[in-house]
Amino acid sequence: MVASLRNLRNNPHFLFVRLPYILSFLCIISGVIWLFLLPLDDYSRKTYISENALLPGQVHAYFAGSEQHIFRGYKRELEGLINGNENEGEESVERTPVISEKIQSILKASGLKVATQGYEYTSSGITHQGENIYAIIQAPRGDATEAIVLVAAWETIDGELNLNGVSLALTLARYFKRWSLWSKDIIFVFPPDSKAGTQAWVDAYHDMQPPTVQPLPLKSGALQGGLVIEYPFEHRFENVHIIYDGVNGQLPNLDLFNTAVSIAGGQMGIGTRLQEMWDHDNSYEKRLQTMLRGMVKQGLGYAAGAHSSFMPYHIDAITLQTQGNGWQDEMALGRTVEGLCRSLNNLLEHLHQSFFFYLLMQTHRFVSIGTYLPSAMLIAGNFTIMAIALWLRTGYYKGPGADDSTVTRDGKASESEKEQLLSKDQAQAISKAGDSINGSTVAERQLALPLTLVISLHLLGLIPLYIFNNISHEKYTLATHTSIAINALLPPTLSLLLSRTNVSQQAQLHLIKSLSLLPLGLFLSTLATLNFSLSFMTGLLCSPLSFISCPSTATKPAVRYASAVLGLVLLNILSPPVVLLAGCKYFGVEVTTVLTEAAFGWDVWGMWTQVVVWCVWWPAWVVGGVVLGGGLFS
Amino acid sequence: MSPYFGLQALPFLLFLLFAALVASEHTSNWAVLVATSRFWFNYRHLANVLSLYRTVKRLGIPDSQIILMLPDDMACNPRNAFPGTVYSNADRAVDLYGDNIEVDYRGYEVTVENFIRLLTDRLDEDVPRSKRLGSDAGSNVLVYMTGHGGDQFLKFQDAEEIGAWDLADAFGQMWEKKRYHELLFMIDTCQANTMYTHFYSPNIIATGSSELDQSSYSHHADNDVGVAVIDRWTYYVLEFLENRVTSLDSKQTLGDLFDSYDETKIHSNPGVRWDLFPGGEQEGRLRTVVDFFGNVQSVEVERADADEPGSLKEDLIEIAQLVEKWRAFSQDYAAANSTSHHEVARDSPAYEVKRRNVGPAKLSEETPWEKRLIGLSILGACAAIWFTGSTLGGTVA
Repeated sequence: MVASLRNLRNNPHFLFVRLPYILSFLCIISGVIWLFLLPLDDYSRKTYISENALLPGQVHAYFAGSEQHIFRGYKRELEGLINGNENEGEESVERTPVISEKIQSILKASGLKVATQGYEYTSSGITHQGENIYAIIQAPRGDATEAIVLVAAWETIDGELNLNGVSLALTLARYFKRWSLWSKDIIFVFPPDSKAGTQAWVDAYHDMQPPTVQPLPLKSGALQGGLVIEYPFEHRFENVHIIYDGVNGQLPNLDLFNTAVSIAGGQMGIGTRLQEMWDHDNSYEKRLQTMLRGMVKQGLGYAAGAHSSFMPYHIDAITLQTQGNGWQDEMALGRTVEGLCRSLNNLLEHLHQSFFFYLLMQTHRFVSIGTYLPSAMLIAGNFTIMAIALWLRTGYYKGPGADDSTVTRDGKASESEKEQLLSKDQAQAISKAGDSINGSTVAERQLALPLTLVISLHLLGLIPLYIFNNISHEKYTLATHTSIAINALLPPTLSLLLSRTNVSQQAQLHLIKSLSLLPLGLFLSTLATLNFSLSFMTGLLCSPLSFISCPSTATKPAVRYASAVLGLVLLNILSPPVVLLAGCKYFGVEVTTVLTEAAFGWDVWGMWTQVVVWCVWWPAWVVGGVVLGGGLFS
Repeated sequence: MSPYFGLQALPFLLFLLFAALVASEHTSNWAVLVATSRFWFNYRHLANVLSLYRTVKRLGIPDSQIILMLPDDMACNPRNAFPGTVYSNADRAVDLYGDNIEVDYRGYEVTVENFIRLLTDRLDEDVPRSKRLGSDAGSNVLVYMTGHGGDQFLKFQDAEEIGAWDLADAFGQMWEKKRYHELLFMIDTCQANTMYTHFYSPNIIATGSSELDQSSYSHHADNDVGVAVIDRWTYYVLEFLENRVTSLDSKQTLGDLFDSYDETKIHSNPGVRWDLFPGGEQEGRLRTVVDFFGNVQSVEVERADADEPGSLKEDLIEIAQLVEKWRAFSQDYAAANSTSHHEVARDSPAYEVKRRNVGPAKLSEETPWEKRLIGLSILGACAAIWFTGSTLGGTVA
């Protein structure tokens, strides 16, 4: 063992060139394998409720019987108004003032304080406007320092009419008002849609709204939890689909999810589903699939429902979406919501006991950050290893074909230095080895050009970031195609310019690659702690960049050109816009839709995914192209 | 008339009193009932204590002799579906809060410090009687505690905890201060039996709900209140007290109470500690439940021949000895005064102690030269050692 380590010292080519590739490759492979181990029983854990105060399912839910008549009455009234206004033109039915008046009058009749809030957002040339109606039940015996939010949007996140959900929320408002056991205020919010409305409301609740959004005339205490009700069809339902992803991959406290599963499943006998996995048999495949679906959602960082807007304010919220065709009616959903509200009502402090960083693979199974984090960290670490190795290589190791003059000149100095440092026998061994180690000499690094290039590429990323977030939605297809073309041309052009400078090209390219991989590794390992999935996905897409190198001048020109061109073609397949196009093809969505959503996310939700793409992934990708293109112009 | 007359006569009078004394077990009953946890989800701990409170009141201990410590107010918690009430059973037959309840320590007053001060009577003069444990050497004291605990500790209010040694020392001090005759310690918490392992003062019977590494469980929850309302061990102790100890005349003994523990129902192994009790388990089992849970109605006085520590006889002997000592001392003092200070003795009575002013001692009164010489010689010796040391060290180097 020791002898083999000692041999390593005498083999700088292995130490500086081969070993980093092996280590990087091992990091990536073990990172991926780690992820695939997570769904196994040994690595995941059963969920449990760690907040004592929640006491899920310990109260009897009384929402039944005559409340159903009230529900039907409200629903019929709203239905009549919707049908009466169907022909009024383009404006969405639910935004007509008649219906708004109706909801307000129902809430006022139930004894709640009602207020409205108008908002308007413009993103990629589309204007989103509407009016939130909300009402507050003031806790009869509590102080007004805390509140729970119930949201029923007219339009679900999938764009369906949520008539049952709205009627149910109205019925619950009337029903909750009559209880005297609330320790927190309960706020009912009726936004017209699930994307902009809640965001406008929650922003204004914390006085963080943009000028186009009106402030709230009526407020309550700190929001402790949020529930969104979605019941977008007429028949009875089978399961409750719990959506929990927030913007930028933030998640609500696991206790809230567990409470919902426990109340719906344990007390009400309603099945629970997550991540649109309708038939989950708890097998390895299904667990893995659920986890990966969750990771994709988390990685893309978009709002998965009306609840997502609450997450940036550290308000734990989930959406309860009815699903399937079964025998559960709106009353069962109402009782589930009642049970959840009673549990949230029991809270003494903000949810904090359980995990905020987790991956769920089944309603009762999860992995926590401590278990899954090494996966993304290993992948991020591979870039750092490669960057450090390249840095050392550009400083000490000239490669196997280093010219003799430098070797003899620097060789003497290095030998005398080594003799001071090493013990005598080692020094003898080294002097015997003679010229073979003389390669490890100190060379000067020309840093100015590589540093300038890497930094300016990172800054250059701001341009596509700005363009994609600000142009009109009609131009997205064009912009994507243009960016693909530019991406194909930019790296070779840069390589050509670099080859015109009279510095040693090979060392230059190594330095550029090292300086580009270093921030990539640092950024991804930092990101892994915040948004594991995004870091993991970006890391995987960037992983070829570690292994790209400029074909050495020793190879035949024909081979060199061929490998450089082939490499560039392959690399272009992994460029950000091409990956976007491929992803859209795979999932069957329009590029325009995705980019409009992304721009909306940037403008309204405060989504950061684009920044990672354009300021982290893209610069690293361009540098990869520049290194490959070096083969063309040497 | 001489002021000593009363004192001289006292031993005699007390001796006369002895003859009239009759045998007695104890003369009063006190109960210290402590819940140690706050927050809504710990409703059951307050219900436990209130159930015991109701029981001891039912068996006649007046509020003035019950110290009730409630760290939270469940009755007025906004989450309580039945405002102003606390129930320990889902049938909600008995409102434990009612309208005749006296809470002596409440909210943040329930601390480890206050609890220990209460037991050992280390309280300020201005602390009202309702917050004091007025027990004496003739009192049987019931101490009941419930909350969240662990191995040799019991948590108070999420902020601090009392250790088993703290409790043992508090009881030890109570014994030294003659604050109890016999003491029954009951505790319902996880790993409760570890709490009485360190007790060392005599006349204590202790019982707890669960062994080391065992949890104590709640009995049942009320689906409308939404929380568990009572713990298992307390529930079954209470069942025994309600059904079998129906009046003060009850002849049920502690042995019967402890035999009623059913581990299959309690779901943990309750424990009893007898070894501190004189006569051990045999004697202890014979104590009736009402000895601790009930109130002694008739004032019984002690046996004339009682001579164990804390008995009236022993006290009287000690007082008589004190009187003797004081008399001898004052006579000596008077004699001394009359010989040395005639004038003063004439002006003031002999037993009036006069403060003698002692002036501050001056340094000049001492012999300065001697001390200076000693100091000089020490300094000189030090200098010599230093000098020789440095020269020797110099030559070596």
